[in-house]
Amino acid sequence: MKNEKTIPPKLATILLNAFLRSDLAEEVRGDLEEKFYSDLKNKPSFKAKLNYWYQVINYLRPFAIKKLKGIRIMNNHLFKNYLKISTRNIFKHKMISFINVFSLAVGLAACVAIYLFVSDERSFDAFHSKKENIYRLDEVQKFTGTNEQKVALSMPGMGPALKHDFPEVQTYVRLWLRGKQLITKNDTKHLIDNVMVADSTFFDVFDFPLIQGDVNTCLNRPLTILLTESTALKFFKTTNEALHNTVSWDGRDYEVTGVLKDVPENSHIQFEALLSMVTYTTGENNVNNSWGGNWMTTYLLLESTANIKSMEEKFPAFLCRYMDDPDITTTYKLFLQPMNEVHLASNDIEHDYINYRKFNGSYLTIFYVIAGFILLIAAVNFMNLNTSRASHRWKEIGVRKSVGAKKLQLFGQFIFESVMLAGIALAVALLVDALLISFLNDLIGRKLSILPLFQNGWQLMAVLVGTLTLGILTGIYPSFYMTSFDLSRVLKGGSKGEGKSVLRSTLVIVQFGLAIAMMVSTLIVIQQLSFMKESDIGFDKDQMLLVNMNNEANEKFETIKKELQKQSMIRGVTASGQRLGNNFHQGGFKVKADTGILSITPSNVNVDYDYLSVYGIEVKEGRGFSKDNLTDNGLAFVINESFAQELRLKEIIGTKAGHDWYHNDSLGTIIGVVKDFNFNSLHYKVNTLALVVHPEWGYQELSVKIEKGRTEEGIAAVKKVWDELVPSYPFDYTFLDAHFEEVYRSDKQMSAVVAIMAGLSILISCIGLFGLAAITIEKKTKEIGVRKVLGATEGQITVLLSRNFALLIVIAFVIVSPLTYLALHRWLEGFAYRIDINLLVFVIGGILALVIGLLTISYHTFRSARANPVKALRYE
Amino acid sequence: MIETKLGEFEEVILLLVGILGEGAYAFKIAEEFKNQTGRTVSIGATHSTLDRLETKGFLKSAMGDSTAERGGRRKRIFTITALGKRVLKESRDFKVSLWQQYPALSSNLQIG
Repeated sequence: MKNEKTIPPKLATILLNAFLRSDLAEEVRGDLEEKFYSDLKNKPSFKAKLNYWYQVINYLRPFAIKKLKGIRIMNNHLFKNYLKISTRNIFKHKMISFINVFSLAVGLAACVAIYLFVSDERSFDAFHSKKENIYRLDEVQKFTGTNEQKVALSMPGMGPALKHDFPEVQTYVRLWLRGKQLITKNDTKHLIDNVMVADSTFFDVFDFPLIQGDVNTCLNRPLTILLTESTALKFFKTTNEALHNTVSWDGRDYEVTGVLKDVPENSHIQFEALLSMVTYTTGENNVNNSWGGNWMTTYLLLESTANIKSMEEKFPAFLCRYMDDPDITTTYKLFLQPMNEVHLASNDIEHDYINYRKFNGSYLTIFYVIAGFILLIAAVNFMNLNTSRASHRWKEIGVRKSVGAKKLQLFGQFIFESVMLAGIALAVALLVDALLISFLNDLIGRKLSILPLFQNGWQLMAVLVGTLTLGILTGIYPSFYMTSFDLSRVLKGGSKGEGKSVLRSTLVIVQFGLAIAMMVSTLIVIQQLSFMKESDIGFDKDQMLLVNMNNEANEKFETIKKELQKQSMIRGVTASGQRLGNNFHQGGFKVKADTGILSITPSNVNVDYDYLSVYGIEVKEGRGFSKDNLTDNGLAFVINESFAQELRLKEIIGTKAGHDWYHNDSLGTIIGVVKDFNFNSLHYKVNTLALVVHPEWGYQELSVKIEKGRTEEGIAAVKKVWDELVPSYPFDYTFLDAHFEEVYRSDKQMSAVVAIMAGLSILISCIGLFGLAAITIEKKTKEIGVRKVLGATEGQITVLLSRNFALLIVIAFVIVSPLTYLALHRWLEGFAYRIDINLLVFVIGGILALVIGLLTISYHTFRSARANPVKALRYE
Repeated sequence: MIETKLGEFEEVILLLVGILGEGAYAFKIAEEFKNQTGRTVSIGATHSTLDRLETKGFLKSAMGDSTAERGGRRKRIFTITALGKRVLKESRDFKVSLWQQYPALSSNLQIG
């Protein structure tokens, strides 16, 4: 794979050249290179690189370092002097320095964390070398009586036909997700998650590394299977032993023709076993000729010259050629989704089952914006404090000037100080990140690490340069301000006419504006999320244990149910063909109206008789299913309100209806209408739905309602019954509410991040305000003294001091509220079910900011208001 | 106490220079140090010591030939000076004399 020669890390060499005495350069570089290449022979390259860095750093010794010389703006002595003065200054004003470093460090730490998060999301699927030319075939489906939807599924016949008809298509690969399956080897049985069926072209399109077997032929024969390394090791001692051995699934033996490396975390396609598609394309039921049903995911590898748009324009004609249906182009529209958008831009795509850790990419932009905000707030502190502190340094500046310091030199000194503080802040920030990243990982379910940042020279360089720039930028204004003092006035000790600190006030407004915006946003986001959690979705999802069922479990379903119902902590037992929380599969349906047969395509689900009562779904009209009615098996339908409205019939109950393969003369009957319930996530509107009882189709999952507080006991009881009755399949369960957590994960993680960032921004703003208050109030010491002597009360003085700050916060609130409102409104539009923005939240946010702000400065205001005026007047 | 002017590390490095002869340059010395003592040391630290020993007059150095694995760069070969040899010998003699004054151990361990 790696043909290019590994060379010592460039950045380290650059660093070495920068400090090393030039007369030592030849021998040292030679030694280090020799060491590096000798390391390479018996160590992994990253270790050799790390060691190279170590060696370079270890040359930072007095004997080897260049002697600084020359009269630049900073010559060596001046440099030392700056360093000394800066250090003294930092320690002299401990509080201000702490605030500066702390807020900048928090800001930088937040930015680095956000960067790590975003680059982790961006790294998805990047390891496929042909990623630029891989596209996923998606559909827009528009069925009668159902909401228009984008889906990630396609028909099995589409892949081969597209390759045949379009010269742009180099090849295709179809994946057919079979979900969790029981795979056995003699007595070893394991439930293997994400079993897929894949075309033999799998490795022509994707770059999943194979450690055993032949890439070109491993999926060429029927009844062959590829296992990932950890799956293979569950059945065999070594991957070598696995090769050409067999495992059984579903009553047949499959030859293991290859072992893959475990699928990397950042792949949207996650699998543990791949079956060969050829198994399904030989014989009579050749899936290659299957059209009409969408149950595979198709990826196309296109020529790099392919024009996506013109291909998509030809798709309608393509569909017409293969499907005998005049309406086909209104119900189906095909489109191509580039591989690099699958992970981050599939949020509006449903039936998207092969999309691990799908994430809403537009949140990444929000994260970047937030990172920018935080850094801005921190930078503002820095500028504000340094500018207002200038008065403490008049004398120093004056003396320096009178002994001949050039303006540029003074400027350099202050910039140097600022860069130095920024550097310290960066070190603290990286330390904070290194310590807290695992905590963040727990919160947002990621495996982020700060280490890659140090292994990648460019990234490290970017961080360093970024910090340097930040130090310079934030240093420019204060430096400019301080060096512009007029010498004679400075030495007289007079101020440079305090000046209206318009800039300073503006910066405080910006700070608090951002902080308020983020606080209000957090409140709204949390409200929306708890709304989704608490809102009545029309059925009971708590305490519902879901158990995966196989054939045997289906055969013995009635017995299992009876046994379970005997247990006191079990409140209900039922089963269904699909799990709540996603869209149910849609299928053709027909209803016999007076005007003739109506065709409609609702979501369908196959349920057990007492599904409605166990899940607490309310029947509005008619009745639910009953075992006592023989025709309720397959010939009775319960539909939801949306479906009923769509039909626009006077009398719904008793209407003849059925699946579209039912003969018109042997239709079933609609026996009931249930209140709409959100079987899909709340991002989507409730779709039309038909429920039917069809035990012989088999159920996917058993649902067991367990009494609150007796969960452990309940699980144990179900397991006992299961192990006794279903020896062929392990007890494999989950809880419905856990599944719903998963559905809203992307939203929750975003809200967690926004909440943390809002907290940090308020924190940084407040520390900044604290410092600023300290400085401004100190300047007013004399004024306060005079006022007190003349009879002002403590209260009056506190008000006087707080008034200006309060005003700034109010202005910030007024400016930022409408903007925040608009932004939040847009975010909420992404939810079909959402809260109204309550303006009270803004008021609360504003007041909160004001109170926090005033509390922050109260330490100083009270102290100076209560101070003894005599002391105050003696000041200066 | 006699001023040997040699630290433990310096002494080992000086000896290694002697052992390696023609091949005594910083990288090789650091490698040999690891082989002989089992402790790792950075090339920088070794070089720094070599530099110090040279200043003290125990070592002298000259640029040697180059090889491909070091990008065609020449190496600095160190050799022990007469002074260096004398200091090493003094150091050894000093220690031996100390050992000999410690009868309990010297008789058991046969230090010569």
